[in-house]
Amino acid sequence: MTEAPLLDVAGLSIRIDGTARDLVSDLSFTLNKGETLCIVGESGCGKSLTALALMGLLATPPLRVTGGTARFRGDDLLTLPPAQMRKLRGDRIGMIFQEPMTSLNPALKIGDQIAEAVRRHTELSEADARAHALEMLRRVRIPAPETRLDVYPHNLSGGMRQRVMIAIALANTPDLVLADEPTTALDVTIQAQVLELMRNLQRDTGTAMILITHDLGVVAEMADHVAVMYAGQMVETGPVAAIFDDPQHPYTIGLMSSMPGLDGGSDRLVTIPGVVPPARDMPGGCRFAARCPFADAQCAQVPPTTSAAGNTSHRVACWKAPLEQQEDAA
Amino acid sequence: MLRFIGHRLLIAIPTILLISVFVFLLQKLLPGDPVLALAGEDRNPEMLAFLREKYHLNDPIYVQYFNWIWNALQGDLGISLRTNQPVTTLIAQKLPVTIQLAVMALFFAVIIGIPAGILSAYKKGTWIDWVANIVALSGLSIPNFWLGIMMILLVSVNLGWLPASGYQPFTDDPLQSLKTMMMPAFVLGTGLAATLMRHTRSAMLGVLQSDYVRTARAKGLGERSVVVKHALRNALVPVVTVVTLLFGELLAGAVLTEQIFTIPGFGKLVVDAVFNRDYAVVQGIVLCTAIAFILMNILSDALYRVLNPKMSDQ
Ligand SMILES: Nc1ncnc2c1ncn2[C@@H]1O[C@H](COP(=O)(O)OP(=O)(O)OP(=O)(O)O)[C@@H](O)[C@H]1O
Ligand code: SF4
Ligand SMILES: [Mg+2]
Repeated sequence: MTEAPLLDVAGLSIRIDGTARDLVSDLSFTLNKGETLCIVGESGCGKSLTALALMGLLATPPLRVTGGTARFRGDDLLTLPPAQMRKLRGDRIGMIFQEPMTSLNPALKIGDQIAEAVRRHTELSEADARAHALEMLRRVRIPAPETRLDVYPHNLSGGMRQRVMIAIALANTPDLVLADEPTTALDVTIQAQVLELMRNLQRDTGTAMILITHDLGVVAEMADHVAVMYAGQMVETGPVAAIFDDPQHPYTIGLMSSMPGLDGGSDRLVTIPGVVPPARDMPGGCRFAARCPFADAQCAQVPPTTSAAGNTSHRVACWKAPLEQQEDAA
Repeated sequence: MLRFIGHRLLIAIPTILLISVFVFLLQKLLPGDPVLALAGEDRNPEMLAFLREKYHLNDPIYVQYFNWIWNALQGDLGISLRTNQPVTTLIAQKLPVTIQLAVMALFFAVIIGIPAGILSAYKKGTWIDWVANIVALSGLSIPNFWLGIMMILLVSVNLGWLPASGYQPFTDDPLQSLKTMMMPAFVLGTGLAATLMRHTRSAMLGVLQSDYVRTARAKGLGERSVVVKHALRNALVPVVTVVTLLFGELLAGAVLTEQIFTIPGFGKLVVDAVFNRDYAVVQGIVLCTAIAFILMNILSDALYRVLNPKMSDQ
């Protein structure tokens, strides 16, 4: 801990205007330079909202950040004026979206879409930006890059388009990349290739990454740290080894046991019985209580506080943590 | 692209022939005898017989049709029964007037309708959106003749800024020509502007929600660039089609507008010809209009291809 973290999110809360319940509630985590944090959790738990909030791209209204800070290189991303946020976006922070088929502009050539991101944040001439776009296509391993500069997105496959998205996100060598399920829409073999590409590029550039995923196999492969979200809250966070080897939160334990083993592990996180409570009808106590085998009266009434588990940055939000004693007792 | 246009033109030929048959028959089936109209008060049988012979009105109908279409192919649409001038000459005289009116009206419609549509989509749900929608609704529901008369009263009679009527050929005096045509074009353009605004608005609303607009924002682009370069370009694809298809509305509106402002254009030619049962002129005009429609449709499809890279590969 010699250096301050690259990104320090504390107490991030997001809700829909005019409602009382948070879609994302009091979320805190940190990310160091060059490291990868994987955010996992069931569909609808607020992963994308979190990433969009950090980008300043929440659909406001009706969505709104109602609290918290996100310190990034001395700025608070959540309160930065729009003009300054635009300077960071695409330059210091890049984002890769889930849908490669619709995330590129169908009416503009690939090369122009990359070059545009470069020119927005540098003084490069049109020709130099184009040369840089070509270089980026090369780096994301698109075959025959010279001929791809002038094609339109519909001429490329999903995997190729996602490579172009990666090229755009990394064009200005950002300090941080937010990747929201970048491979979910791709075929399994293509998924592996794209992930490997991302890992290599990250190693070369020292970019930190927040990788949102459903897929524990991806987590095992990519993560330094893991944040597990449930119903808009962070239930457990820690180094990847701690989360896999010594999960503390009943939800995390459920996730791990639903995974058929690390090598073949690509199961979706759906095997815990029960459903996530709807946002407008969130229980007052622990949000996982209705599905939790260890729940008791206190759990249902009072939201659990976050406590340290072990001597690392491993933290868990559960009244019964650490759970070993409970299991041993049971 | 050229192949596409050539192909479309080729397909257009049978369509035009079919229309020509239809127009010709319709004209023959309408009540009223052109010879009676022509002869006026002087209705002695010899005179009528002479006129019938002169205009080949005694020939079988298919012979009449083939004569007409054969001549039409050679650029001869016959002689006006009324003025004795060749129909092509009449059309060539009046067409530029109406084209000028239509182009200026379209200009007003585009510079009002498209920005208003963009703005109201971008500011959806705010007072700007409300105002734009109310103005558009008024634009659609206020009849052109009423607006035209009100504008004449205000701008010409009270303020004396622009002439109330008349026409100056553009080639003679461009400035005066634009001045006389300004008000009619505006009146004609407002209704179209409202239609365009609503189409632009709905296209923009869809595009502004799209993933690629979000990507553009994620690059840190300014809102102007996001809206104009990324959103508008895609939103305009359907709007351009609407503009070209508005051509029909434009022509119908032009007929009325020319009456209000007493502009000696195509519209006036049509009205006079119909009232006078001037067959040759009516047929010529309808044929020309049909061809113009078909050309506009081809233009519309061609523009759609240009704007939509997905189509232009095929
Ligand atoms: N624009 C919006 N308006 C209202 N509610 C929204 C909006 N966007 C998201 N939500 C709600 O916020 C919650 C969190 O959504 P989010 O997209 O962050 O989920 P996610 O964790 O990314 O899920 P997934 O894995 O399916 O992508 C969901 O319940 C969703 O219904
Ligand atoms: S706080 Fe209680 S209900 Fe919530 S996860 Fe822990 S044991 Fe289960
Ligand atoms: Mg999501």
